[in-house]
Amino acid sequence: MENKNSIKKKLIKIFGADSVSDKQHDLYLHSYDATENEAHLPDFICLVENSKQLVQVIKLANEQKIPLVPYITGNNIGGLTIPVKGGIILDFSKKMNKVIHVDEDQMYAILEPGVTFGQLDAYLKKHHPNLRYCYPFAPPYSGVVGNAILSGMNNLSATHGSMGDWINGLEVVLHDGSIVKIGSCFTKEEENWDKWYSRYPMPDLMGLFVNWQGMTGLVTKCAVQLWLRKKIQTFIIAMTYGGDATAELIREFGRLELIDDLSAVSLEVAKMSLGFPTPKKFDFEPDYAILIPISAHSQKHFKIKMELLNEALKIINNRVKRKIILTDFNYLSAILGEGVRCFADLPNVVIPLVEYSGLTWIGSYAPINKLKPLMEEGEKIFKKYQVPAFIYMKSMKGSHYAIWRPIIRFKKHAEEKKVHEICKELLEMGLHYGIIPYKTPIWITEYLKEKIIDPNWVKFFTDVKKFMDPNNIFNPGRWGI
Amino acid sequence: MNEKLIEHLSSNANFALPSTLDRCIRCNTCKYAKDEFFRSCPSGEKFLFESFWASGRIKIARGILNGDIPITNELYDAVFACPTCGACEVSCQAPHQDTIVNIIESLRELIVDSIGAPERPSKIFERVQTTHNPYNEPHFDMELIKRKYILPDKANIVYFIGCTSTYRQQTIRDATLSVLKKLGIDFTIVNEYCCGSPLIRTGQIKKISNLMQHNVDEIRRTGATMILTSCAGCYRTLFKDFPKYGFGFPPEIKILHTSEFLNEYFKEHPIPKKENNVHWITYHDPCHLGRHMGIYEAPRELIAKISNLDLIEMKRNREFAWCCGSGGGVKIGYPDWATEVAFERIEEARETGVTTIVSTCPFCKTNLEDANKLHKSNMQVLDLIEILDKCLL
Repeated sequence: MENKNSIKKKLIKIFGADSVSDKQHDLYLHSYDATENEAHLPDFICLVENSKQLVQVIKLANEQKIPLVPYITGNNIGGLTIPVKGGIILDFSKKMNKVIHVDEDQMYAILEPGVTFGQLDAYLKKHHPNLRYCYPFAPPYSGVVGNAILSGMNNLSATHGSMGDWINGLEVVLHDGSIVKIGSCFTKEEENWDKWYSRYPMPDLMGLFVNWQGMTGLVTKCAVQLWLRKKIQTFIIAMTYGGDATAELIREFGRLELIDDLSAVSLEVAKMSLGFPTPKKFDFEPDYAILIPISAHSQKHFKIKMELLNEALKIINNRVKRKIILTDFNYLSAILGEGVRCFADLPNVVIPLVEYSGLTWIGSYAPINKLKPLMEEGEKIFKKYQVPAFIYMKSMKGSHYAIWRPIIRFKKHAEEKKVHEICKELLEMGLHYGIIPYKTPIWITEYLKEKIIDPNWVKFFTDVKKFMDPNNIFNPGRWGI
Repeated sequence: MNEKLIEHLSSNANFALPSTLDRCIRCNTCKYAKDEFFRSCPSGEKFLFESFWASGRIKIARGILNGDIPITNELYDAVFACPTCGACEVSCQAPHQDTIVNIIESLRELIVDSIGAPERPSKIFERVQTTHNPYNEPHFDMELIKRKYILPDKANIVYFIGCTSTYRQQTIRDATLSVLKKLGIDFTIVNEYCCGSPLIRTGQIKKISNLMQHNVDEIRRTGATMILTSCAGCYRTLFKDFPKYGFGFPPEIKILHTSEFLNEYFKEHPIPKKENNVHWITYHDPCHLGRHMGIYEAPRELIAKISNLDLIEMKRNREFAWCCGSGGGVKIGYPDWATEVAFERIEEARETGVTTIVSTCPFCKTNLEDANKLHKSNMQVLDLIEILDKCLL
């Protein structure tokens, strides 16, 4: 590798002097994130504006064997943008952040990688008020494309599953500098925004990029499916006692395909949003608060949905020890205060997530029939470490699977060691019940490779990575490669 | 641990240390106007790197505290290129939201303390020491004004004019004096020094107490029970910074911005209708009056009382108002960028369809006018007091 000054000059030539920094404080800011994952300094930060620059920087990275780490807003809670091998942080969020096109008829949006959920929401409300995307349990300033290609969950997950399922097309710059379009947009035509309507039926090359954590190429455009913004959008909330009732409600309500989403959080989390920084739950209180967004085309439609949900609830209540209470969330939030609405009015700042400088989780996809032991064993681990329980669960895509996500808030620069111990214990317990972690930090991928994953899968995965990135310039270090 | 930083933070922020810096998760909510998702941070929007946004600056403080970031002049831009407008504090929803500007000002103090102020802001320090104003003008003889307006030595109210209205925006000074006289208010003025705002905002606090002591003595000598300011910066400084440095006025002495005072006054005394033509205007919230002091409605209510004036709000108003770009040492440190920020505000005003933008701060007026001139824009920039003066017989 040439010396840093020489590389800096080349980077300035590509990105411009105002868009390249190697100042210590800029590097420091990109050396760590909210998680407990180890910090590493990058060598440069570059603000990316277009694909042409990426083609040039990829050429440089291959020549110099210098890593490229894509960065949008760094809110992934997996340490995914920490440059574990140093190199160049490519910040997409500042200049490559346009909503390129919204197709009203075919209901999709083509986005540059830097577009955030808040931005897309504001854009759609202004220009296409009858359409909506989805919003995750994350700050509004989180990247849409990053979330989509990492299969993030959202507030339409009970019906539609993860965001990864809704990608119609991608434009990617590959290791050799070629730019490839994937999905129905794969035609020879340049900038035909009408052609990004489907991921299938051609061979699904999208899988070479989705969930790869930026290890196989640099995504420069992404078409995401949009949905009708229905006339009625409201929320109900269920309060549940015990693992049996909570798991059953999540599973049964999810499979009815009547609701948009179903997010269960430990009662402590609801209390956090009311201003209790380290809340305790008392034995007589419900264990989980389950927020259920429902949308409908008309009052009649909504009424039918509610009738069916109440019928289902009756059956569930006949089976569980303590009856589940279902309430109109709007009434509840009027009584409890606006704080609790942060869970509902997405994209929004979810208050309990921003109260500490440290935040981490074992984010996982989980078998829906194992939610009960996952929540019960998880609660025990939280209790053991005297940390308020923060378990977040969802039904996904008609309850074909679930999300189980124990979350830990902590003091950064002070509690990393303890937090890592908690995470490891949660991970081991979760794996016992069949969870699969997502947005995985390196230590988890190492653990998975060692303990869980079939070596044939690992070999195949490593071979694909080598083919896609022979010089290992794309986010090296992830998955131990 | 950087003990010096802890010292500065302790004096600026009312929270436990060092956990002060451990409450930011970099969720990035500080980067835009919450809910509406408008651009809100002039600094971040201009320079783009993470270090130019509030969350980045908090982490810089963290890095300095840990010893991970050395204090060198490499830090100047990241720390000083910020108008400290407080838009980040409005959007931030975390427990530290009210402390962000304090953290930035603490960083500035630390840097000035360690390696000195950046070149351009350091000139303010020299000027204020020698001429008592940041504009390097010869100290103005207030007796001239006192004689012209026949003002007493002792009065119920002191009108603290402020440097910008004394040395640059004299029309605001004259309009204020004229309005107060027309209303028969018992007031006077004093031989004032700079209130210290431009020094405090740029971390140059070394000799701040001399200025404050002088002003306190001058004001006390009049026997006044009320201080009026027509400058949002002076208002914030007298109200918040004087007590912080041990020069707070006793509770019986009220400090009011002229817009507050006159709004109250005209609740009982209707403003005479002078002409039938309705003037459509828009109102720019000065950061030091709005976000820093929470005064949004008094100027609007006063506008509503003027019968031939109608207000059309800009897209970003009240707590989400786009800063004019002049505060926090930006006007002297980064003059081109300051007018660039102001021009964005002028353009936003134009979008409402009006031809007049009204504010309640001479510093905002200066910068908005500069942008106006630079871009050969025909937006009329006025202070509310100037309009009011014309309405009164």
